[in-house]
Amino acid sequence: MTGNFFYFLTFLTLFAAIGVVASKNPVYSVLFMILTFFALTGHYILLNAQFLAAVNFIVYMGAIMVLFLFVIMFLNMREDTEQHKPLLSKIAAAIAGGILFVVMIAALKDVDTQMKATAVFDSQIGMVENLGKVLFRDYLLPFELASVLFLAAMAGAVMLGKREPGEQNRF
Amino acid sequence: MTSIILLSIFGILNLFVGFMKSKKALMPAVLLFLAVSLGATMFDWNQPQSYFSNMLSTDNFSVGFTAVMVVSTLFILPFSRSYVVAENSNLAEYYSLLLFSLVGGIMMVSYENLLILFVGIEIMSISMYIIAGSDKRNILSNEASMKYFLMGSFFTGIILFGIALLYGATGAFYLTDIAAAATNMDPATSPLLLMGLLLVLIGVTFKIGAAPFHFWTPDVYEGTPTVFTSYMSTVVKTAGIAAFYKLMSAAFGGVYDQWFPTVVAITVLTLLIGNIGAVAQNSMKRMLAYSSISHAGYLMIALTSFNDRSENAILFYSLAYAVATIAAFGVLKYVSDERGSDEYSAFNGLGKTNPLLAFVMTVAMLSLAGIPLTGGFFGKLFLFSAALEQDMVWLIIVAVLMSAVGIYYYFRVIIAMYMRDAEGTRIAVDPLATFTLISLVVLTVLMGVVPGLFNNLL
Repeated sequence: MTGNFFYFLTFLTLFAAIGVVASKNPVYSVLFMILTFFALTGHYILLNAQFLAAVNFIVYMGAIMVLFLFVIMFLNMREDTEQHKPLLSKIAAAIAGGILFVVMIAALKDVDTQMKATAVFDSQIGMVENLGKVLFRDYLLPFELASVLFLAAMAGAVMLGKREPGEQNRF
Repeated sequence: MTSIILLSIFGILNLFVGFMKSKKALMPAVLLFLAVSLGATMFDWNQPQSYFSNMLSTDNFSVGFTAVMVVSTLFILPFSRSYVVAENSNLAEYYSLLLFSLVGGIMMVSYENLLILFVGIEIMSISMYIIAGSDKRNILSNEASMKYFLMGSFFTGIILFGIALLYGATGAFYLTDIAAAATNMDPATSPLLLMGLLLVLIGVTFKIGAAPFHFWTPDVYEGTPTVFTSYMSTVVKTAGIAAFYKLMSAAFGGVYDQWFPTVVAITVLTLLIGNIGAVAQNSMKRMLAYSSISHAGYLMIALTSFNDRSENAILFYSLAYAVATIAAFGVLKYVSDERGSDEYSAFNGLGKTNPLLAFVMTVAMLSLAGIPLTGGFFGKLFLFSAALEQDMVWLIIVAVLMSAVGIYYYFRVIIAMYMRDAEGTRIAVDPLATFTLISLVVLTVLMGVVPGLFNNLL
């Protein structure tokens, strides 16, 4: 049952991910991306990582993708206004991406992850309590220093978004 | 660690200093903050310590590179005086972003865990994306910010994917654990490990601007305001190459044979593209961008040779390169602000109108080209002797040939300054900037005459 569900979710993820790239209309791309994130949330639940699943659901699918959708609607992008890349760069990109794809498959096909020690694996590791313990004990320093990252991003966003003296409001 | 905490707090404090009506207090405040951080960093010299269950450690390697970065920032700041004069309303944010990005840089040179490396790279990069677009009215600056942001995010994703694969192969984020797993490599997971290594390597070479991941450099450097370009091409590059060296030596020293071909290919490609690309430029700023690519190549020679001389060679070269580049960008800023262009022709006759600026530029160019009696000469000498110990004569021949190409484009600006007729009038330079330029020249010459003062420190 779980195995079948895994294959279904994987199919859904890949299908939606290809849809993001392939669809011409950017709004469809965003909707496909929401579907991708939805399927990934299912994967997290299969891995018994409830907290990550909830965060992925609320933050990525909810907040960020809605923001994406709003921005795309504001920008009012249409197919005829979209700039088309020259054929040469399309071919070059396809070859470069394809080579990376082939190399990765060739390199990783022999990997045996060998189900590392299923007996000692703690199935409760993805729960909020355990995650919190790891985050605030072992990974305290990167967790705290991430605040510097957000502070820099925030200061920058305010700086770039702030209206300069004498600047007109355009919207 | 002390400097990370201090710089984070100073960055916030500085935002509050920005609330004051007058912008005059900002630059002295930031200079003071940096001097205090530098002092606090030097306390850790010869006193290795590790923090937070060995997430981060300070040793002479990290202290040395932190000092180079903080000193570079100290030298760069005086050139931002035009913002103070113009009462730029965002000056406090600019300075705070520089302080925050230094925090990221220090994390990148003192990490023991890949997560710290990742957060450090992100802090530094995100500050730089914003700084690149700080000239909001200028379309080139907007373009630089956008390009840097999109490509940088893409390569961040590649680093993260690489780290995930490394975790899958070794079950660890710590450099020591990865090194242990890499040396007695398990054939079942070795493709995973090597793939992860390759992806992390691609991401880091993007950050230092090495070919074939250099394509963002000229456009971004050209669009960014000149003061911040000099920050990008010195501090960011120093942090990147130190992080790269630390990653390769601490985690993957055991699989040197595996990554050697990749890194040597990147090195040769970087040397070729950087130097030949620079020849074709007419803009001084773009030339310096290509020259920064080529210097990333020289620095990677030490990485390729990978022996006990490499560390010191990289530190010496980073300092020599930073000092000369800051001087060049400093002069370029004054010339392009006054004459409204950063083409070579803007420098015509500078030797007659501003002998001091012309002299500083000449010394900087000689140092970048690696002419004796300047720091750049010994920098290259140490790099090449590290490579010679490894018997990589052909690599040195390529590098020397490319340095010869370098002389061609570095001397173009010297010729313009001294052999062409003056077009503009005298450029006014404020006393603090004059003092900084003179100190930079003194430091360059000092490194070229008594290199022993700065070599073999680590």
